[in-house]
Amino acid sequence: MGSEQEKAEGEGEGGTRGETPAEEAVTGANTGRDAESHRSQLEEEKLKAERCLTNWQRAEADLANFKRRTEQEKADLIRYANASLIGKILPVLDDFERAIGAIPEDISSAGWIDGIKLIDRKLYNLLEQEGATPIDALGQDFDPHVHEAVMREDGEGDLDVVVEELQKGYKLNDRVIRPTMVKVGRRKSASH
Amino acid sequence: MPRVIGIDLGTTNSVVAVMEGGEPVVIPNAEGGRLTPSVVAISKTGERLAGQVAKRQSVTNSDNTISSIKRFMGRKFTDPHVERDRKLVPYKMSEAPNGDVRVTMGGKASSPAEVSAMILQKLKQDAEAYLGEKVTEAVITVPAYFNDSQRQATKDAGTIAGLNVLRIINEPTAASLAYGMDKKKDETIAVYDLGGGTFDISILQLGEGVFEVKSTNGDTHLGGDDFDQRVIDWLADEFKKENGIDLRQDRMALQRLKEGAEKAKIELSSTMSTDINLPFITADASGPKHLTINLTRSKLEQLTAELIERSVGPVNQAMADAGLNASQIDEVILVGGQTRMPAVQESVKRLFNKEPHKGVNPDEVVAIGAAIQAGVLKGEVRDVLLLDVTPLSLGIETLGGVATKLIDRNTTIPTSKSQIFSTAADNQTSVEIHVFQGERPMASENKSLGRFILDGIPPTSRGMPQVEVTFDIDANGILNVSAKDKATAKEQRITIQASSGLSKEEIDKMVKEAELHASEDQKRKDLVEARNTADSAAYQAEKMLKDLEGKYSAELKEEIEGKIAAVRSALQGEDVENIRRTAEELQQSMQKLGQAIYGQQQPGGQQPPPPGGEQPGGKGPDEGTVEGEFREV
Repeated sequence: MGSEQEKAEGEGEGGTRGETPAEEAVTGANTGRDAESHRSQLEEEKLKAERCLTNWQRAEADLANFKRRTEQEKADLIRYANASLIGKILPVLDDFERAIGAIPEDISSAGWIDGIKLIDRKLYNLLEQEGATPIDALGQDFDPHVHEAVMREDGEGDLDVVVEELQKGYKLNDRVIRPTMVKVGRRKSASH
Repeated sequence: MPRVIGIDLGTTNSVVAVMEGGEPVVIPNAEGGRLTPSVVAISKTGERLAGQVAKRQSVTNSDNTISSIKRFMGRKFTDPHVERDRKLVPYKMSEAPNGDVRVTMGGKASSPAEVSAMILQKLKQDAEAYLGEKVTEAVITVPAYFNDSQRQATKDAGTIAGLNVLRIINEPTAASLAYGMDKKKDETIAVYDLGGGTFDISILQLGEGVFEVKSTNGDTHLGGDDFDQRVIDWLADEFKKENGIDLRQDRMALQRLKEGAEKAKIELSSTMSTDINLPFITADASGPKHLTINLTRSKLEQLTAELIERSVGPVNQAMADAGLNASQIDEVILVGGQTRMPAVQESVKRLFNKEPHKGVNPDEVVAIGAAIQAGVLKGEVRDVLLLDVTPLSLGIETLGGVATKLIDRNTTIPTSKSQIFSTAADNQTSVEIHVFQGERPMASENKSLGRFILDGIPPTSRGMPQVEVTFDIDANGILNVSAKDKATAKEQRITIQASSGLSKEEIDKMVKEAELHASEDQKRKDLVEARNTADSAAYQAEKMLKDLEGKYSAELKEEIEGKIAAVRSALQGEDVENIRRTAEELQQSMQKLGQAIYGQQQPGGQQPPPPGGEQPGGKGPDEGTVEGEFREV
């Protein structure tokens, strides 16, 4: 491209302005150079413009994605905001259950004991109202998504099953706040 | 556009991060956690598990649950490290025909790379779920002491997981990137990494943007878990002294001790003492037993002093190997959760005789560095456009000299904001737009940037015209303010150069003064607002009385006129309470009027519409305004 071509065109046409071949060649080259510099400038500007457009498009896309993610995070935050707090309260609930599980025989009918049981109920109901639900474990097939095995006992069978609950597990909506701490045993599956 | 993620593939835990809008962000896993245990398993039903889920079933499936696979990556079976660590893991290992390590999982012999690939696969999937797009490339970190075959094994793991590994970078280098060290000139950096199970010290030399590893050392079996164990043992021993029972024999009690110990250790990083309270921890013939004990920070430091001491030897050796002494080390970086402990930080400070860098989350710093490297390698697909913010609020002066902000300070520019204003007086045909910059509620206390007038507003009741005022700041900080009458489409504008504002010192001063005078400014503003409201109420009332003449009783008219007079008289003074009260009373009387009118007839009469927004201070035609001119102050 460029002045070479210009010259060739000029010659091919046999001197459009009727000038001497030498003059024509010189003039041809000049206008050729101008046209070329304009052409290349145009190309440059086009590239710049394209780049700006691309950057703008990407920036818009980034913003759209960011918005979408932020909306999702907000929704998650609302749903699971309490998970952390409830998780911290669970050990207290556990201790109440232990306490009630260890009530001495001789005072088990005392009114005061009833009071403690009521407090335990109250705490449990409160957490339930906040969306926390206990995880079904005892007798269930062992599922590491909701159970955490800390002990194992040998036995006959091909399936893992929960034989003892050591610490209750809880879900908040569909998220596991704390898996149930279990002892796992074996049982035979139906086909056996 | 596929994203490149940065992965810290750790011995105990892994972390994933990605660049987002120029900032590194840690990606939470599907369970919502920022750390993913480096544990994989094949369940008895043949299900492949990875992360927390795999960890939870390890006790029931120890043969097929693999943890700490990093210890075996790229090593030969006969490697002394493998010999030693093999004894510590419950899963079976064997030797491949070529001498490599094989791990038996689910009846199959897998290479450590295949096992690591399972972890990477989970990390990849969770990242894709979070980002909402495919992830095909990654930068993965390895310890600085990893040799070629260990690095290759890590790369292979990535490939098997479906990731194109753009680069394998050293963990201490990643940590340095996270702290922006690469922006500095030639520096010597020490990275002290005390994680869950291993301790690594690395000395790096930064020169012309390139990190060179001068020396490494460490202890592959020293970490936060050991610190926890010291506390657990102490608790069990104390309890045994008191009660004669060894809690370590009771699985559930041991679990509670573990949790209590870890919790206490963490608390003691920010408090001087903490109570460990475990009711009904066990029982004997005499009844239930409780563990309640107080642990002080100094006692914790006593219990763990020997562990911290164990890190000193490797550090000194690393410096010796690098041929440097402490004073020649320019920067020290802390990595790994256990470095949060004050005693560890103190020890590091003493070792290097300088304050270590610890601002970035030590559990996440390596992943963050990997993400930064990923961003660099990928290159900026989008040009990074650095945007400014406007340092002070911008607005116009409205009725009563109030400063009404249109653009708040620290708003990113370019930006544009419009608001509709109206006239303050009946038959006002021009409005003056006085532009200010600053935080004070009264316009006169702020810096004036310019003013202009928009005229030709058709004369009508005050509050009726709609003048749209638009503030537009371009990327260079040039402010264009325009005022347009929506009825006539007449428009005037003014352009204010960026430099006509205030210097940084003046800005800081302004912000401080605004804070200082906040309460008195607020009082002034309250007064003006009360005035405007009362004045408006009186005006409306008068108008209504006139418009609805004859449609209500003379009694009511007298009552309302009295209330109007009370308001006007209150407006003579400056008592905010008085102004507010008389305006209230007027409104109550006006309600009676409303009831009277609607009680009589169908609602058909036109209610005068409320004034459109705030009202700019303006001058009526009889006050000799100069039309169409603006002057820049």
